[in-house]
Amino acid sequence: MATKTNAKKPKEFKVNIRFSTRMVAYTILILGLISLAASAFYASSILAFIGLGLTFWGALLLYITPTRYVKLDLLNAIAPSTLANIEKMLTSSKLNEKGIYLPPKYLRDFESSLVFIPSKNNKTLPRPGEIDEEKLYSKNPDGLFLTPPGLALSKLFEKELGTSFTKTDLNYIQNNLPKLLIEEMEIAENVEVEIKDNLITVEIANHIFSEVCEETRKLQKTHETIGCTLSSAIACALAKATGKPITILKEEQTQDGKTTKIQYRIIED
Amino acid sequence: MQIPLTFWDISLWLAVTAITLLITAELISPYYGQTNLHINKKKLKNAALIMGILFLITVAIRIYGIITAP
Repeated sequence: MATKTNAKKPKEFKVNIRFSTRMVAYTILILGLISLAASAFYASSILAFIGLGLTFWGALLLYITPTRYVKLDLLNAIAPSTLANIEKMLTSSKLNEKGIYLPPKYLRDFESSLVFIPSKNNKTLPRPGEIDEEKLYSKNPDGLFLTPPGLALSKLFEKELGTSFTKTDLNYIQNNLPKLLIEEMEIAENVEVEIKDNLITVEIANHIFSEVCEETRKLQKTHETIGCTLSSAIACALAKATGKPITILKEEQTQDGKTTKIQYRIIED
Repeated sequence: MQIPLTFWDISLWLAVTAITLLITAELISPYYGQTNLHINKKKLKNAALIMGILFLITVAIRIYGIITAP
């Protein structure tokens, strides 16, 4: 019985806090409006200033508080099971090659993304427009088509940027990805993108996916072929922006576990 | 019955509010740890910019008034 009571307490407390924040905002707003009306009635400029201030801050408090926030633990709890399924699939299909993130020209749906894992290291890609996105296995060439684990995240990037990556290029990614991840989405503390010929290195410091990526590292095949959610999302963005297939060469974390370094390679098709 | 605030009173109020919001929006850290009030930084920045623009409009009106005064 005691455990049940303890488990319920934090939930009720949080709901009350969210409720009280909105209540405070509404109270300030109403007091401000009353004060403004009273200032007109009594011709008092002090009351008018107080009313103007309270009305403004009440409205602002309602506007700037987001409707919902979830704990990071929730994200960390959801992601690993999906990745474990991919690991199972890769193990049972006996695929060891690196996954190739296909650009939109290979797909029917230009806004979607697909990762192709070839069965042999012959680097042969399926022909553009001949891919059936509904199918899991490919026969010519032999391999597996998977929906990248970072596809939804890359679509969220596009939504935040207000543009599709298909309409951009590598320079756009280099200039806008750090701002997007640091300022707009508040995913990481620092992001650096370096482009050298057909190699792209992305360094991300103190990001919220560090635990998910750590879990992916335990799933050896998934880590080596597809990468974790964050590196997969960036690979999807790069494939769309460059219009060329992308593969994740390396994904490593510094010893302190704070910085993730991902190396991508553009494949000339 | 009328609001006892002149155009210049509102201009001054806009200036003070805009400065407060702009400084807050720039200095606020994305990592505010455990807090009971979550703030959408983007919306705060937008509100700050709107207040700043409104103040600049009042300044422009004042300059126009000075230039066109006989």
